[in-house]
Amino acid sequence: MILDIKGVTKVFRGKGESKNVANDNLTFTINEGEIFGLLGHNGAGKTTLVNQILGLLTPDHGDIHLLGESVTQSPARARSICSVQPQSQVSLGLLTPKQAVTLIGKMRMGKKFEPKRVEALFEALEMEAWANTEGEKLSGGVRRLTAFCMAVIAPGELVILDEPTNDVDPVRRSYLWQVIRDLTKYGSSVILVTHNVLEAEKAVDRVAIMDKGKILTQGDPSEVKSLVGDRMRIELSLEKEFKNIEVPDWALSPHQNGSRLIFSLDPAKVSDTIDWAKNQTDKGLVIDYSLSPTTIEDVYIELTSKKGAVS
Amino acid sequence: MNMVSHYKYVFQMQFLRNAGFFIFMALLQILISIGIVIGFSYLIPNPDTETILFLATGAPTIILIVAGMVILPQQIGTAKTDGYMEYMRTWPVNRSVILGADTTIWLLITLPGIIISSIVAHLMFTPGYDISWTVVPALLMIALTSIGVGYGFSYLLSPTASMGISQVVVFGALMFSPVNFPMDRLPEWLQSLHEVLPIYSMAEVMRASLAASTFDATMGNYINLMIWCVLGFGGAIFILNRK
Repeated sequence: MILDIKGVTKVFRGKGESKNVANDNLTFTINEGEIFGLLGHNGAGKTTLVNQILGLLTPDHGDIHLLGESVTQSPARARSICSVQPQSQVSLGLLTPKQAVTLIGKMRMGKKFEPKRVEALFEALEMEAWANTEGEKLSGGVRRLTAFCMAVIAPGELVILDEPTNDVDPVRRSYLWQVIRDLTKYGSSVILVTHNVLEAEKAVDRVAIMDKGKILTQGDPSEVKSLVGDRMRIELSLEKEFKNIEVPDWALSPHQNGSRLIFSLDPAKVSDTIDWAKNQTDKGLVIDYSLSPTTIEDVYIELTSKKGAVS
Repeated sequence: MNMVSHYKYVFQMQFLRNAGFFIFMALLQILISIGIVIGFSYLIPNPDTETILFLATGAPTIILIVAGMVILPQQIGTAKTDGYMEYMRTWPVNRSVILGADTTIWLLITLPGIIISSIVAHLMFTPGYDISWTVVPALLMIALTSIGVGYGFSYLLSPTASMGISQVVVFGALMFSPVNFPMDRLPEWLQSLHEVLPIYSMAEVMRASLAASTFDATMGNYINLMIWCVLGFGGAIFILNRK
């Protein structure tokens, strides 16, 4: 076991009596070579948890053990076990991606560091063209990729990636997932913090869904999906942002995001749903639709939208 | 891995990241220090040699104060705002290594200004320099105090608050501190304040080593500097390690 988190609670106190329970009695473990997805809305408490694993914040209650030793007691050790890509952009100034990644590699490994690793990594992410461009002149996506490279060039036993795919183009995203999977082959474990649930689903071995400081559920993706039962989901693109499109009465937890309407359904209702969707398309209300098995996103939305009942 | 190699890599990272800014600042420091010596001689009509010597031995102190308590806090404010400070805290190195590497860079920025302005002042006015061997430890001690105090308040306070302090410091050091003129010209309450603040001690120690036959620094000056230096760096390390 790499990481063992037991009953971690962190409360931030504001002015007067106000307080924000950022982490509320969290418990989970991460095994060697595992990719663990930490999913949740903005402000769910994911980054606070990461900062405690790194020893940058101390839990108010509970304990965090990295490779068997308490992080609170040896925070410096925690920083050498973990390598991190922060959520915010790393401002590189005049550093080129090659310089920045090489220096972090040396900082972590010293003389054992092989500069060739940098070239191989840049090649895997197809970013050689920018290797020697000053950081200030790079686009947001390339800077994000550079920060990713800085986290994985000399990976610790635990690699923590906080929203690594933000700003990155779809082609390089798939390269990036490949690099993440390769990390686990060499024994590193990965914590993947994200709100991009659909993308994470394909990559992670286990997930925890967080909301308002609590873990609502955790397990492998199929376990988590079974929470909403054996269901299908349909996603429709609406012609305009119809606020009052008539949703069939068998639709489960429908929600609309701009012109995108999603709801779950019982598999028995598949043909009725297709008829209904076709009908809506004929009326010109719907541009297109797609039917698929449930995803973690559905679980995520269902759990976080009925948070009153859970918490 | 040992602290020395960590220091080497952190130094490279910090220096290369801001190389342009550092070179620009070093040039600016040269201009400021020459400006103090020449500019003040316009302000005072027919200055005598003693006045010139005060200005010439005060300029290095001003440079060190500007670098440590004005430019450095501004840069830390930026690093705090853009999240770079938080990122440095995740590095697998001892925090004092980061502080040490940054301090070296700031020392290097001030040196050209101090050396060049002293040469210029000597060639133009021959004010009576008498450089003692103590100049090296004195310079180091004054620089470390200034940088340490700069770190202390800029780590402790919000970027806006530390910028405010910077503005007061630069104006106060130039106009209301016994750096470029003798202490007894100041009102008594300001004199007692300067007995506590580090600026007067910095100026005294600097003068005593640049013109050893004209000026003396007291043991009190050295102790004062030492206390402020420890307070500044101690505070900065405390805040870097704070959770």
